[in-house]
Amino acid sequence: MSDSNIKSTGDNISESEKELEDLRRLLIRPEQEEIAQILERMDIPDIRAEEVSRVLAEAIVIRAKRDDRLALALLPTVEKVIRDSVKKDPKFLADAIFPIMGPAIRKAISEAIQAMMQSFNEAVQHTFTLQGMKWRIESIRTGRPFAEIVLLHTLIYQVEQVFLIHKETGLVLLHAASGQENIQDTGMVSGMLTAIQDFVNDSFSAEGTQALQSLNVGELTIWIEQGSKSVLAAVIRGNPPQELRSVLQKALESIEFEQNEALYAFQGDSSSFESSRHHLVACLVKAQRDKKEKKTEKTSQKQPVKTKKKEKDKEKKTGLDLKWLLVAVGVVCMLLIVAGIILS
Amino acid sequence: MIQKKICMLGSFAVGKTSLVQRFVQNIFSEKYHTTIGVKVDKKLVKVGEQELSLILWDIAGEDGYHVIRSSYLRGASGYLLVVDKTRRNTLDVALEVNVKAQEALGNVPHLLLLNKWDLDGKWDIDEATIGELIKNGWDVVKTSAKTGLGVEEAFIKLATRMIG
Repeated sequence: MSDSNIKSTGDNISESEKELEDLRRLLIRPEQEEIAQILERMDIPDIRAEEVSRVLAEAIVIRAKRDDRLALALLPTVEKVIRDSVKKDPKFLADAIFPIMGPAIRKAISEAIQAMMQSFNEAVQHTFTLQGMKWRIESIRTGRPFAEIVLLHTLIYQVEQVFLIHKETGLVLLHAASGQENIQDTGMVSGMLTAIQDFVNDSFSAEGTQALQSLNVGELTIWIEQGSKSVLAAVIRGNPPQELRSVLQKALESIEFEQNEALYAFQGDSSSFESSRHHLVACLVKAQRDKKEKKTEKTSQKQPVKTKKKEKDKEKKTGLDLKWLLVAVGVVCMLLIVAGIILS
Repeated sequence: MIQKKICMLGSFAVGKTSLVQRFVQNIFSEKYHTTIGVKVDKKLVKVGEQELSLILWDIAGEDGYHVIRSSYLRGASGYLLVVDKTRRNTLDVALEVNVKAQEALGNVPHLLLLNKWDLDGKWDIDEATIGELIKNGWDVVKTSAKTGLGVEEAFIKLATRMIG
């Protein structure tokens, strides 16, 4: 009896387990199938790649907004790709960057030539005059090139106003001036300046990449530097040296770097650009001449490199004058001694 | 203060310049219209608590000889199309210019100004046509440079729609 009981109990257990198994299968079958599908997807690289490709672009955008780690992670790969591409076929990359490099190189070369021509013309003009002879003696005495001495004595200019203009809308982002004289409404002026540039580009420019660089109105010159999203316009009175171009270019580059996001998102509110004002103020350079010496000063608090250089020159000149004075005193003393010997 | 570029467009001699002359700040001479085809003025408006500086590009009229330069439209946040209600063809030109502006700027806020409203009895655009324009979604404002009718209203309406 006990055996048959045990057997029937065992049968019951196995039967109930089977039923439970059936029930389990019925209940969680869809989930099990899904898990199997997911595992299959995970195992097959092609399917995984297909899945990732669907969200890759969105994921990159989200991550790039959050922080810079994606850019940092990609940097070595991008650098390697560029290096490999150049190694493999330099022409391919050269062709790709030519549209931007061409005008940049042309601009740099033309500015270098202009600077050279300017100093050459000044030098030729002043070689055979009395003033020129004086400057040549100064050049020999101080050991500096004649052209540099000529430039030092003849250049007089002042950057009176600087405008930072949003390229697309022509709206003024920032404005700095050395004085309060003759300042018209900056909003209207920058709009009109943009309109004039558009007019010149549409009417005369052969290539879309070329832009108006300077305007001359009597004593005033307006130099325009083009950035990718903004334009820097400097109103200069007098005869500016070509080096001023690089001051303007550097200021524009620094502003575009600092305000990259603000420039892209600009909707008419220019208040965020105030933090870059110091770059604009640094462009308000002034060089003036008086009868005895030449000095360069700037309306901003920061001393420009040029000013420091000239201060050094001034110190050097004072040092030389002192030397000549000592020599003269020495000669007089010698003469007095000789006269004393003769008389005695 | 928020700045916005807006354009003033329309056929030749519809009164675009007269319309704004008394109501905006201007420093540039009228000569610019005939030379470079545009004159920039400024209009300050207040929408609620928000002050706006509207930089107004008054673009020379389009006719058989002159075509509006699309580069002047670039970056505008809105525009005003001006029509002379005593000359029907100026409405046709305005509608053509509108297509050009939409191509350059997309669907930015814009208004249609029916100018010279003070000239009674010389209507060339009837009420039915105006009704049709409104039915087609046009925001029409009746203006007069002589009496100042609707001018401030037009600027404020456009400014409100630009910052809204």
